[in-house]
This record gives sequence, structure tokens and C-alpha cells, in this order.
Amino acid sequence: MNAFEYFAPTTLKEAIDILNEKGEEASILNGGTDLIVRMRDGISDPKYVVDIKKIKGMDDIRIENGRVFIGASALLNDLGNNQDIQKRYPFLSKAALSIGSKQVRNRATCIGNICNASPLAGMATPLLALNATVHVFGNYGEKDILLKDFFVFVRKTLLKHGEIVTGISFEEQACLGVFTKISRRRKVDLSTVCSTVVKKYDEYRISFGAVAPTPVRLNKTEAFLKGKMLSKDIIEKACELAMSEVSPISDIRASESYRRELVQVMLRNSLSQWY
Amino acid sequence: MKKVINFTLNGEVVEHAVDTNKTLLKMLREDFELTGAKEGCGAGECGACTVIMNEKAVNSCLVLAVEIEGASITTIEGLTLDGILDPLQESFIDNAALQCGYCTPGMIMTAKVLLNENPHPTEEEIKEGISGNLCRCTGYKKIVEAIEKVANDNEE
Amino acid sequence: MKYVGKSIKRVDGIKKVTGSLKYVDDMKFSRMLYAAVKRSPYAHARIVSINIEKAMAVKGVKDIITGDHYKKRAGLYLEDKNFLAVGKARYKGEAVAAVAAVSEDIAKEAVKLIEVEYEELTAVTNAIEAMKPGAPLVHPDLGEYKTAPIFFPKPGTNISNHYPLRKGDVENAFEEAEVVIDNKFYVPHVHHVTIETHTAVAQMDLDGSCTVWASCQSPFAVRQALSEAFDIPLNKMRVLSPAVGGGFGSKAGTTLEGIIIPLAKRNPGRPIKLTYSREDEFENTYVRQGMHATIKTAVNKNGKIIGLKNEFVWDGGAYNEYGVNIAKAAGYACAGPYDIDNIWTDSYCVYTNHPVGGPYRGFGMSELQFGIEQNLDIVAEKIGISPIEIRLINGLKPGGATATGEIVKISGLMECIEQVVEDINFEEKTESSKPNKVRGKGIACGWKAPSMPNNAASSAIIKLNEDGTAHLLVSVQDIGQGSDTVMTQIAAEMLSISPEKITIKTGDTDHTPYEWQTVASRMTYSTGRAVVEACKDVIDQLLELSQIKLGLYKRDLELRDGYVVSKIYPDRKVAIGDLALGLTFEDGSGIHGPIIGRGSFIPPNIRDADKKTGLGEHPVAYWTYGAQGVEVEVDLDTGQTKVLKVASCFDVGKVMNPQLLEAQVEGAIVQGMGTALFEELILKDGVLLNPSFVDYKIPTADDMPEMVIKFVENPEENGPYGARGVAEVAMVPSAPAIANAIYDATGIRLRTIPLTAERIFEKMKVLKRGRRGSCKNN
Repeated sequence: MNAFEYFAPTTLKEAIDILNEKGEEASILNGGTDLIVRMRDGISDPKYVVDIKKIKGMDDIRIENGRVFIGASALLNDLGNNQDIQKRYPFLSKAALSIGSKQVRNRATCIGNICNASPLAGMATPLLALNATVHVFGNYGEKDILLKDFFVFVRKTLLKHGEIVTGISFEEQACLGVFTKISRRRKVDLSTVCSTVVKKYDEYRISFGAVAPTPVRLNKTEAFLKGKMLSKDIIEKACELAMSEVSPISDIRASESYRRELVQVMLRNSLSQWY
Repeated sequence: MKKVINFTLNGEVVEHAVDTNKTLLKMLREDFELTGAKEGCGAGECGACTVIMNEKAVNSCLVLAVEIEGASITTIEGLTLDGILDPLQESFIDNAALQCGYCTPGMIMTAKVLLNENPHPTEEEIKEGISGNLCRCTGYKKIVEAIEKVANDNEE
Repeated sequence: MKYVGKSIKRVDGIKKVTGSLKYVDDMKFSRMLYAAVKRSPYAHARIVSINIEKAMAVKGVKDIITGDHYKKRAGLYLEDKNFLAVGKARYKGEAVAAVAAVSEDIAKEAVKLIEVEYEELTAVTNAIEAMKPGAPLVHPDLGEYKTAPIFFPKPGTNISNHYPLRKGDVENAFEEAEVVIDNKFYVPHVHHVTIETHTAVAQMDLDGSCTVWASCQSPFAVRQALSEAFDIPLNKMRVLSPAVGGGFGSKAGTTLEGIIIPLAKRNPGRPIKLTYSREDEFENTYVRQGMHATIKTAVNKNGKIIGLKNEFVWDGGAYNEYGVNIAKAAGYACAGPYDIDNIWTDSYCVYTNHPVGGPYRGFGMSELQFGIEQNLDIVAEKIGISPIEIRLINGLKPGGATATGEIVKISGLMECIEQVVEDINFEEKTESSKPNKVRGKGIACGWKAPSMPNNAASSAIIKLNEDGTAHLLVSVQDIGQGSDTVMTQIAAEMLSISPEKITIKTGDTDHTPYEWQTVASRMTYSTGRAVVEACKDVIDQLLELSQIKLGLYKRDLELRDGYVVSKIYPDRKVAIGDLALGLTFEDGSGIHGPIIGRGSFIPPNIRDADKKTGLGEHPVAYWTYGAQGVEVEVDLDTGQTKVLKVASCFDVGKVMNPQLLEAQVEGAIVQGMGTALFEELILKDGVLLNPSFVDYKIPTADDMPEMVIKFVENPEENGPYGARGVAEVAMVPSAPAIANAIYDATGIRLRTIPLTAERIFEKMKVLKRGRRGSCKNN
């Protein structure tokens, strides 16, 4: 790991100023579980590291004004073990606790997982299905980006240099949801495929990870299911549609065809819970 | 590039100038010669470097030393400050829960936090709780039993 | 017995649980330099030029060496390797240059600045292809390499060793057989994955002495190899192995030590340290060899196998200095633990441009038995008998003959099979509570002999102290298996003093006595016997002195709880501590001097097999037999397998420490399960695609099955208290038993590992299509 200058600003303004002043050679450090490994491997080589964890309020998890807010530095374990989240959005909690090991989740953050924009980001599918909004702070002030628009490509988001994600939020909603993760090893492994299916009345929101360059919502399948009573036949048709809607790749973790097959298995098992 | 940090290390208040690009693991091993925490992968996958930071188990290879400003760090060496083995350490020996010993310090630190947070874990909770600590020698059975034994003693 | 056979606590326990034990990477020396290695990005390439100018200019860089600086070849059984590539690189990651600098970061920075020009050569990445005439040669100079006379390289080819075995009349057997079955299996490269990576420090002084601190299993073998490679006499070459964070074979032989010695030579007085990263570890240390097996079986309908025709092709990777012996070991074991009269086997070790193959727990037996044990199930099904019956019919019993024709004196195999069948409740099929999951049971046997030179020697020294305590000096390395504890137990039992009164010292070629290697599951047996002999020597000296002191016959004296005691008059005794420095008379004069016991051992009468036929009456010290039964649950939706339960039973001769032995077998089962379900070094054109824990998964605690561990004890003739080794063989049946159980559950037989969810899923799809197809035909 090469030498760098370390900053630990205590306000957002201060953080933004450092990022703007130092330019592209400055990196944001949040949980660090990804950045530090990338720095060790020489993939990232920042000259300036801006630690945002000392900024006040960044690690909040709160429910207010009809929205659930998860701060940028909120740990995966804190999210996963949050009693309100566990009670109302158990699938979100399950997703948080499915990532890495306990030690990793004591450092890694929900927002870090989102900002990395890995195709298989564990936090992405539940938050996509909850229609979450990403809150961004820049020298212009605050702005909101819908999570579904936030992901651009593998490891690319709409976030520009000089911007900091302060948190993510979603509207309080009465819904049911199922998070599923298939991995080679049951614990401490990346998803071969992951998914969340949320049911709100007769509306189904379906998101998948590791089946496209970014985590995705299956819009066509959702449209097909909307307003329908679930039956064996309907579920099968939805599964077929879902398989055609994804575009996974083959890599050393799984083949394209296995991933595609898992999509229908996971969707079928998820929907079957309500049938 | 060095930065002065203040923190508590095994109960002692420390002021230390550390290279910004050193991980907590490297700092503990190189600057403080606390070599109980081991590097098994340097990427947060094996848990051999586990230490306790503010009552939480962390992979010290995934924490920059500069990040521990104000924090309290406990390493395996910090469990025997009074010259007496921790019940977990006793139990690991009694139950043959160690072989080559390389994963052992990290495993014990993870177990320590596990039992602090949940004094009566189920077998499943123990397995889940230590799944971030790889051991190639034991097959884990005796490790789980060693932790269970201490948990059972917590009953009294 | 007081100490042997008891669950004595580990003598190294406290140092390990407190983190105070110093492993090599924990050691710090003054004026230490750090090494880093420049590696070949190609699997096979001629090195055209190396430019170190820019790298040397980096501040803090002290020295850089390349293969040109030291061209002498080295190797354990076949001298085919250079520690730094000379002329060409033969695998991706091979060391081509090494830097010594004042810090690790600087050394790594300098490595990046070394410029190497390569001319890429065609890589040989399949062992079967590599054997064909015209295949590019990995070692064109093979004919010039020095080799031990029991190995047979074929110059002008990629074959580094051929072990043939010809027994009986195979052609006739196949003609007479009622059923003939042909099967092929493949086992990929896997890695040991010790949690401690390889690490070593070397220092040379101007007096010509060389000291190496290495995490190694075999200080004496390392000393021998390095002494020969670097022309350092043995009295000047010292190897210390202070602690080993897991071995499994990966730290037998030499790996990175040879990279730093030339640097140490050029920088006298400065210790040079090299520690491998996890990525280095996967790419640049020994891996388990890949193996292609062809097994052809001639069997009668009553279940008796009458003929076997096998071919084993070992993918030995770029250097086969150690791997040639695995091909030989597989030759000895080519029929598995089964009694078959007519056998034709060819076992080949083959060079490829893959990572370097070498010893891995099992030394070929896991790879071999993976095929043999599945083949047995296939054969059994074909002739309509159960997997248990075919094993009981053909399994080796006392009086039977192994593949080499050795008559079996002791075999608890039948007892082990029966025990496992009972513990796994083999005949009773259970059902999953979940509709999408199916369960199945499988069984497999395993056997293994120590694979070592016939005269592999062990020794032990015991020094008695004046307070009645003792020091036990041996050079078996405790790599986790518990040898420190078991050796202490043996000495405690023999000398009748408590284990706490014995301090064991190991791992220093200057100060602890000779041990060939800590490998081959031979330590309890071989070093244990040396300890017994050393104790006998101590006892003899004590009794000599006591008979003078007590005025009683030697034959009437014995050691009891720290005293030499008269068997007839128990109140007549002398503390052994009082005799530790010799016998002192009333006038203050003394005789004899300090009591030091010496014990040596070589397993008796092991002789080479015949070169042409591969047959031999006693080519190995002993065979250890056993079996495992497994229950699995397979998820039909995803193909994922969970191993629910494993029942294991081995004939160990004597259980020396029940708790440690159980722990060792549990570890072996989970390691075997890892290779069955997840583990594989994924190689493409010689490039390793998964050199990290992100994509090379070993089991976690969550994957652990329920385990029932049993032993039978048919004593080994020359073993201490009748013990024989079991360390490696304990993982041998695990993978094939899981494969057989998956077949039982799903009807799917994959002839390769790992049995990943995806592979099972794909097979299930084919199977479903097949069933649909046959319905249509009806």
C-alpha cells in the first residue's frame, strides 16, 4: 500500500472541500473493507484518503416522517440487527447479514456496498425493491437520485468526484418481502445470484443481482404479475419471463446458464410463499 | 507519511505516530510487537487477524491504523493481562480446539465478542458467529464445543 | 497405562491460545532485509533478458538476483528445479528475480521496476496431451537431471516417472470375467491452504555458516536440499523451524528458502525475510497434483474382482522433484485396499506448465481412491450387489495380498466397514422434511502407507535433569497434529514421570537429532519408536546405577513415578533426579556422569519393489486401513449439497491420545469435504484464475457435518505401543464417500470434483430431459 495523506473531517462541507481541493487523487474512505483491499492490491492508489466516518450523524438508522433513513456510515451489522428493520423489513435485515463475515459487517456499510456498484451487491436488491432514494451531497448542496438510476455499469454509478452519499432512504410501506442468496459456500461468500421479491397488495417488485452489469429490477416480469392472482401457472409464466429478462455472464463463479436457471428457481420459491 | 494517533491498547492509553498506509494489523505486529494477530490473507476473508475494537470483532487487516483514533483495541495478548488464562483459552486447551494454532488467537477473539454479545448462543449461532474465521486443522467441531462449554458455564 | 492412551492436554496449548508462540513471520532480527519476488506472467516462456537497473536505483534496495546468479539445480528425488528460473519460466508465477530491500514496501516497489523480456512458448496444460509424441517439452534436458535410482524419467518426453505394476495374468482375467467395466475419473489441482503462508528468514555469515528459520515440516530434509543446492557443508547449514502454522505436505521439501539464500550469501550478516501473501501461496507453493485415472475392472457376478487394468496420469506441473514419488506411491496402492490377483497398472508423472505439484495430505491416495471407490459402487450396481457387499468380498483381510503381492498380516478393514455401516445406519434411508431436497448415503474405504525412502530414519535424545525432570529432543515438527504431546506421552509412560516434567524441543538441526521428514503419517510410529528406544537407554543407565546404589539386581528394579523402585521391596528406591548427573558415593566421588538417552529407528526390512513388475513383498512399513460413511442432502432446485453426517473408523493400532486423534480425524473429514464440494484451482492456459479466498473456498464452521469418530486397534508390530499412522488417510475416503452418497441421493455421478452445485444442477437437467425422453418413447 502506497503512502497517502489521511483526513478525517467532521462536517460534510469540510469533506467536500478536501475532495474538491485534492481532485481525482482523493478517495472517500467509509467502511474500508473494499478500498483497503484494493489499495493493498494496488488497484486503487489514492494520494489522499478522506475518512467520512467522523462526520456527525452519518451512522444514523432512523424512521421519521414516513421514511426509513440509513446513514452512509451505518454498519451492515447495525442495519441487520436493528429491531425496527428486523420487524418491518426482515428481508432487508437478512440481506445485510448475508454479506461477508461478522467481522467484515462490523466495518462494512450498507452505503459502501451500494456505492461499489458491484453487479452482485447484496444490499442493492432489497433497496431496489423498496424503491429507495440515494441522498447525495455536493458543493451545490443536496440532491436525490433514485437507486434504480444510480447504477450505471459494473462498479460505476452516477456519483461524481466531489460528491458524497450521505445516506439512502425509502418510504415507509406495508409490504412482504423475500431475500434470497445463492452462493457456492453458505457463509462468507459472494452471491452467485441474489434477489429480493417484494409484494405490496397485488404489486410485485422483483430485483436481482449478478444477472446483469448492475443489480436490476425485472420490469417486464413485474408488469406481467401486476394485479394478477398468483397461481402455479402464473408463477411459471413469470419465471419464464424473468429468465428472458436477465443477461448474466459466465465467470469462474458460475456459468451464464446456471445463473439464468437460478433466476427462475429463486423467483418461483419467492413467489410460492404467497401462493 | 506519519500521523499521531491516540487510542487504548489492551487497557493502556497510547499515543503513537503511525504511517498512514499501515493497517491496524501491521501496526500491532510491527510497531507494538503484538504478534498474536496473524495475517492469513490480508483481505478480510480468513479472520486470523481478528482483534476487538470498541467491543466489536474486526479484521485488523481491513482497518487503517489511523482510523482507530480514540478507539479501544484489545488483542489476544490483552486477555491475560492479570496472568490468568481467559475461560475461553482454558476451554480451547481442554477441548483440543486448536492444532497448528495459527487461527487460534483470531478465533478466540471472535468467540470472546460472540459470548459478550450473546452469553448463551445456540450451536447454530456459534457456527454462524465464527464462520469468518477459517481453520484448516480442526474441522471446527472441537472449537464449537469449546465455546459451548464456556457458554454453559455462563449459566451459573 | 498412565499416560499413553489418555487424553493428555496439548503441551503447546498455552503458547498457542495466548498468541505468545513465535511463528517465523513473527520474528524480527536486527538489520533485517525484506525480499520480494519478480514472477513470470507466462506459463511457459523463454527469458530473453532481465534489466534490473531501474529497480536497483530505488532508494533502500540493497540487492537483486536473477536465475543467472545461481544455476545449480535442486530437488528431493529428481533434481529438476531452480529456485529462480534459469533460461525459461515453466509456470505462471515462477520466480525470475528477487529483490532485497530495507522494507517490504520498497522491495515490492522495486520488483515492479524490473524489466523482463520474454518469448512466449506454447504451454502444455493437459497431462494427457503432454504425454503424446510431439508435445512441447517442459524440460528438454530431462536426460541430464540427477535422480534417485528408484525413479524412471523418460528423456525426450514430458514423463518424469513411470511406475509399472504387472501382476498375474490380466488378459486372461478379462477374458474370463463375467462383467467388464471401464471408467474414467479426473481430480483437479487443489491447494493445502494452511492458514499460515510460507515464510522464511535466511542469514549467512562470513565464516560460511548459513542459518535458515523456516516454517517447514522437515528441517533436516531442507538442510540436506539447501546444503546440496548451495554447496554449504552440513555442519555450516542450520535450519530452524520454530513453529508451523499448518502443513498438510505444503511445507515439506523446499520452496522459498532457496530464493533468499543467494541473497543472504551476497549480503553477509543481514537476515533476509520472505513471507508469501495468500495469492503467492496459491500460485507459488506446492499444489496437489491433478490426476486422470482410467480404471478397467474384470468382475464375476458373485462380486469377486478378478482383474484390474489401470492408468494413472499425474499432472505434476512444472517441476516434479517431489511429485515423482506420488506416482510411485500410487503404483503400490493401485488396487486400493482390495485383494485382486491380476493387475496391470501404469502410473505416470507428467510435466505440464501448471503450478508445481507436490505432497498433499494423502500423497496420491485421495486422488486414487476418488476413482477406485466410485468405480466399486458402479461395479456393485452393475452386478446387483450392495456397496457394502462388494467391499466385504474384495476388501483386504489378513492373509490377503496387496497389489504388490505383499501378504497382509494385519488389517482391520472389515471391522472398520462394519462399524461405519452401523454408525451411519447405512441400510436405512432417511427423507428430508423439505420436498425439494433428497438424501442419500455413501461409503468409501481408504488406505495408505508411509511413502518414504526405505531407510527413512528417526532419532531421539532424552536428557535427565537433577530434579527428576527431563528434556526430550526430537525433530518431528508439531504442525498441528499433536506430535509434541504424543512424543511427551510416550516418554512420560516409559520413564514413569508425569508429562509436565518433560519439556520437548524440536526443529533445530544444530541442536535436535536427525529426523528424515515430518510427512507420511510416520511420526507416531517412527519417531515414537525412537523415543521408546531413547527411554530404554535412559532406563538401562538408571538401573545400572541403581543396582549399585541399592545393592539389588537390575532385573528386580523398575521405574515408578520418578523413582527407581525395587519390584520386591517397594520401600527400597532412589529418585531418578538423584542419578541424573551420575551416581555419587558417600565420599563425594561419582561415576557415569549425566544420563543422556539415545534412540534411533529405521523401519525394519523395507525393500524396493521389482523395477520391471513393480511387485514387492514388503515395500512399505505398514498400511493403515479404514472407512467412512456419509449422509448428504441435495437441493434439487439448486444442486447444492449439504453433508449431514460422516461416520469414520480407522485401524490405528493403538489410540495414543483419544481427544487429539479424534480432532485430527475431524479436521481431515472437513478438509476432504472441502475438496469434494468447493475446492479447485481453476486454471486456464496455465493461468490460475482463483488465487485468493474470494474464489477459492474452504469450509467454514457452518459447513461442518455431524461426525462420529471411531477406531479399531489391531497393534502394529514395530509401532510404539502398537500404534501406526493415520494423519493423512483420514481424509482419503471423505470425497469418494460424498460422491457415492450424492449418487445414492440423486442418481448423479460426476467423475470429477468439486461436486459443485452447478455441476450437479447441470447433470440433473440432463437426467430430467432423459427421463422425459424415455417417457415419450413409451
